[in-house]
Amino acid sequence: MALSEALRAHIRTIVDSHRVVLFMKGTRLSPQCGFSATAVAMLDALLPEYRTVDVMADPTLREGLREYSEWPTFPQLYVGGTFMGGTDILQELQSQGELARALGVEGVTVKLPALTITARAASVLREAMQDAEGLVLRFEVSSGFRYGLSFADAQPGDLVVGSEGLSVHLDPGSAHRADGTTIDYVVGSKGAGFHITNPNEPERVRALTPEQAKAKLAGANPPLLVDVRTPTEWGLARIEGARLLDAAFEHELLAMDRATPLIFQCHHGVRSQAAAEHFLGLGFREVYNLEGGIDAWSLTVDRAVPRY
Amino acid sequence: MSQHSTQHGNQCDALRAAILQALPDAQVDATGGGGHYTLVVTSEAFRGKGLVDSQRLVYGAIAHLMKGDDAPVHAIDSLRTRTP
Repeated sequence: MALSEALRAHIRTIVDSHRVVLFMKGTRLSPQCGFSATAVAMLDALLPEYRTVDVMADPTLREGLREYSEWPTFPQLYVGGTFMGGTDILQELQSQGELARALGVEGVTVKLPALTITARAASVLREAMQDAEGLVLRFEVSSGFRYGLSFADAQPGDLVVGSEGLSVHLDPGSAHRADGTTIDYVVGSKGAGFHITNPNEPERVRALTPEQAKAKLAGANPPLLVDVRTPTEWGLARIEGARLLDAAFEHELLAMDRATPLIFQCHHGVRSQAAAEHFLGLGFREVYNLEGGIDAWSLTVDRAVPRY
Repeated sequence: MSQHSTQHGNQCDALRAAILQALPDAQVDATGGGGHYTLVVTSEAFRGKGLVDSQRLVYGAIAHLMKGDDAPVHAIDSLRTRTP
């Protein structure tokens, strides 16, 4: 298959769109293959930001890239518009201590993040710290935006930020993702705990109970209800207003404005969660999953829908 | 995955042969099975070449074994290129 001029130009636009572009299987937050996951982990440790492109979502692009890069596998990394290789090469560079330089981040100093610890959180931490002699307070933000607050050893390369008289240690990757974060301590009816507000958190799939979904569907700017079950299941039972995600509908969705709200639904809510994350990765910003699927819908909202 | 191995058998010999055809001086260490293989290739051809170009030489030699959805070689888990 010869690479068309249009596709070649399209790929060039993508590789030039960001200094570091990773063509991978899945998304940065949920890689769909071990090699892609490894590459993301290595880049996350060194780079505050880079662009990832999910080649599973676009077969034409995937095949085109094999030819464009003269490289048969994914992931494929481009730095400054130049092909750098796959996971193997990243690992080889890392083992030689050359990866940071190859990515052009050697000697780049990470900006100290703005971090706020509320007075309440600080007093809880200060008290806990009395039992943690010789250790430092460490705050971690993983690339999947999971948080860790712990007493641990100081590490070389740590950034240290002060707030409310406390010193907080962060590794460079966490530091970038933590910029602007507030750490609070909240006492509520369900117990007490740290509450973290981070403006850098990416959009997530939001869970809806059947009642919440029903209200949304009846409200202004109703979301599309996307049923990801099989045609056989669709034949057994369906929610009024839902559309089965077949090839034609998927094509339609991919052409839609990414602001279009979408609710994904299956039998029990597991398959639809995966589908919802996939569409989030494609750039849709308001994506919901119907918790418990059509089964929960039938039990709580509309008993006329048969269970199976 | 297991279907790959039963359908196509172990491809280590095929990989070795394909690489030797392109790089006659190469020392090829191919291990694996079930569609997944690990290669360590040593050849003078890599001298003076970057990692990308070296690996391209190997991938180019085995491309026909990796083509299509039901390719005998599903993935090269790891490829290392060395000069003697």
